[in-house]
Amino acid sequence: MRYVAGYTADPRGSDAVNLAVAMARRQGATLDLVMVMPQNSQYNGVYPHEAGFETILAEQVSQWLDEGLALIPEDIQAQAHIRSGESEAEELIAAAEELGASLLIIGGSNTGIFKRFSIGAVANSLLHASTIPVVLAPAGYSRTEPITRLTCALGTRAGAEGVLQSGIAMAKRRSLPLRLVSLVAVGPGESTATVEDAKKHLLQVAATGDGASADVLDTLDMEIVVGTGRSIEDAVDNLKWKKGEILLIGSSRLAQNNSIFLGSTANRILRALPVPMIVVPRNYVLQAKELFPTTEIPVIDAEEIAEAEK
Amino acid sequence: MSSPDIVRNATGDHGLSEKGLKAGSVGLIGAVVIGISCIAPAYTLTAALGPTVSEVGVHLPAIFLVGFIPMLLVALGYRELNNAMPDAGTSFTWATRAFGPWLGWMGGWGLIAATIIVLSNLAAVAVDFFYLMLAQIFSNPSLADLTRNLPLNLATTMVFIAGACWISYRGMETTKSFQYILVAFQLLVLGWFAVAAFTHVANGSAFDATTIQADWFNPFAVESFSQFAAGVSLSIFIFWGWDVTLTMNEETKNPKKTPGRAATVTIIVIVLIYMTVSLATLSFAGIGTTGLGAGNPENQGSIFAVLAGPVMGPFAILMSLAILSSSAASLQSTFVSPARTLLSMGHYRALPKSFGKISPTHKSPGYATIAAAIAAAGFYIITRTLSENALWDTITALGMMICFYYGITALACVWYFRAQAFRGVQNFLFKFLAPLVGGVILLVMFFKTAYDSMDPSYGSGSNIGGLGLVFILGAGVIALGVVLMFFMYRRNPEFFKGQVLSRASEPYNP
Repeated sequence: MRYVAGYTADPRGSDAVNLAVAMARRQGATLDLVMVMPQNSQYNGVYPHEAGFETILAEQVSQWLDEGLALIPEDIQAQAHIRSGESEAEELIAAAEELGASLLIIGGSNTGIFKRFSIGAVANSLLHASTIPVVLAPAGYSRTEPITRLTCALGTRAGAEGVLQSGIAMAKRRSLPLRLVSLVAVGPGESTATVEDAKKHLLQVAATGDGASADVLDTLDMEIVVGTGRSIEDAVDNLKWKKGEILLIGSSRLAQNNSIFLGSTANRILRALPVPMIVVPRNYVLQAKELFPTTEIPVIDAEEIAEAEK
Repeated sequence: MSSPDIVRNATGDHGLSEKGLKAGSVGLIGAVVIGISCIAPAYTLTAALGPTVSEVGVHLPAIFLVGFIPMLLVALGYRELNNAMPDAGTSFTWATRAFGPWLGWMGGWGLIAATIIVLSNLAAVAVDFFYLMLAQIFSNPSLADLTRNLPLNLATTMVFIAGACWISYRGMETTKSFQYILVAFQLLVLGWFAVAAFTHVANGSAFDATTIQADWFNPFAVESFSQFAAGVSLSIFIFWGWDVTLTMNEETKNPKKTPGRAATVTIIVIVLIYMTVSLATLSFAGIGTTGLGAGNPENQGSIFAVLAGPVMGPFAILMSLAILSSSAASLQSTFVSPARTLLSMGHYRALPKSFGKISPTHKSPGYATIAAAIAAAGFYIITRTLSENALWDTITALGMMICFYYGITALACVWYFRAQAFRGVQNFLFKFLAPLVGGVILLVMFFKTAYDSMDPSYGSGSNIGGLGLVFILGAGVIALGVVLMFFMYRRNPEFFKGQVLSRASEPYNP
């Protein structure tokens, strides 16, 4: 299994690499570090034609990519790729598709001054077009120990089953603890859903989802929780988050089949979220190798790494 | 534990290859659109028509045609250099290769100075038409006069420059469809202007109906060599950008044929539109120095700002829109050029290293882009404060600067290919004769214009202590370049000792 990490030579790029390492260590994946070289639109009307810049830029980009590779610890296999194209987001998606990657990991913008997550332009385009699950690293993500738990946020609308299926598949692969969460805002003017409704729905989804038969659910280390608060942001804040946890969320119903479109609730969750987030395309069909539980590559746990580093 | 080594691509270069270039995506029409967009005819006409009329009067069409000759000759040399050293940048590296670091540095400086000056002029023209368009939208002529308010004008121009700089810094670009629309719109509006002007002449409602005469096309009828030189250096400016089509190779669908054909089609379209519009302007307005006359110094900074209303009536707003959009688009794309040349110079240590920095987030020449914006803003503030007629003076200074760096580049071509000059007719024509003649013409124009512009009454008549402002601007920029060059030599001599970019010439190797 391969993960693609979109690299830029700024703090955002290191966030992405750190998270990619953390996920690869837990899930037993190899990394593909991808940098996109901007391709000038011929129609921009640049005059005079300056060819020297391209050469200098290419040199710089491959130097940056070496720096990026150097961030990846030796226990993870990694490859580096330079692509060139007009749109960074499009190239990252294309790279992930061509490499057959299961996840596309990038850093959220670090230029935001408000919340942990204020999304950069590239991340934003990915969250509205990617055909592969996108993982967003929050600004300043420095943890490279394996991720510890997967939280799957399930809405009350149709489509929750698909998200759950992806979550279960990811958890099953290497027995990653799974937590199912429904977020309910009970404040005035918020949705009329009650905590009971949400809980009932969660259980129902968990019980009926395809690939989530009773015996499968039993083998999983699973927890079902309802997060409440005056607003969705509040509900996210009120949930307990483990160190090294990661949130899985689905796309809006506005998304085209097999692609991502971040809905408004997801957007609000994103703004309050203290942990990384995976967004799965609508009706995403998992690849066989993701469903295939593996113990071929042992899970490296935190203590082992700590020992190795000593 | 899994394999500890980091796997690299077999080539070790991360797989970057020629497929990076978008090979073969531009067809003939696309290349022509790119050529026209680099020339930006609506902008060049409004900026250069007036100053050229003030020099050569009714012989405007003749001078426009003559101005193309040195442009063509130099562009042929440009193409040879571009083919021989495609990765080496432009004037700066070429001149350094041929003549060594000192002249190379000045060649690069000339290119940067020219693009900085045109940036400040583009921004100023955009601002004029911005206020004019506001006046047309709200049918309130007093809004158009806001551009004459010095602090407001400076502030708005700074906003335009800052905006274009920001877009460039972020690496955002004009897309294909947008560029097609911009170019089609410009040509359409210019054509409309010409037709409307001729209609007025036919109906007897023109301001100063003047009959077109064969003499207008005779360049030898221009009264003095000074006027001729000034006119030619101005008309170099109106063709500046045309040669972009010649240097497009691997981007075109048919690299053998498309560039040449595109250059030919572009020049036919451009000459047609220039001839039609300049004849229309002269027949409608005459060259009188009062009222709407094209000879009126009041009108010469930006001729369409004055004439579009009387000629096109309520549709004059289209002209404002065409010029505003074309100058704003050019403003943004022109930022790329000085920024990249500054970056190359920083990279080769001809400028402080920080100019060679590339923004990690946007992968654009960040430091150099901001430096270019500050320089353009500074140049405009100085010119506008010293002269009421800043547009006119900057265009004249720009003409000089283009002659300077084009001249150096053309001669660099002759010198670089000296071993091949007399080996075959084609080499002789394209690598020797054409660039030699073109380069010499341009340098002669440069020195003649520089000398004449010392006269306090030169151009718009702005002067400081009896010395013409155009001379002060032009010579000042070059002198500044010389000072900076010696400063850099003191600080960072490797480049000037030829340790970074060495001199070279292409041997004859059939």
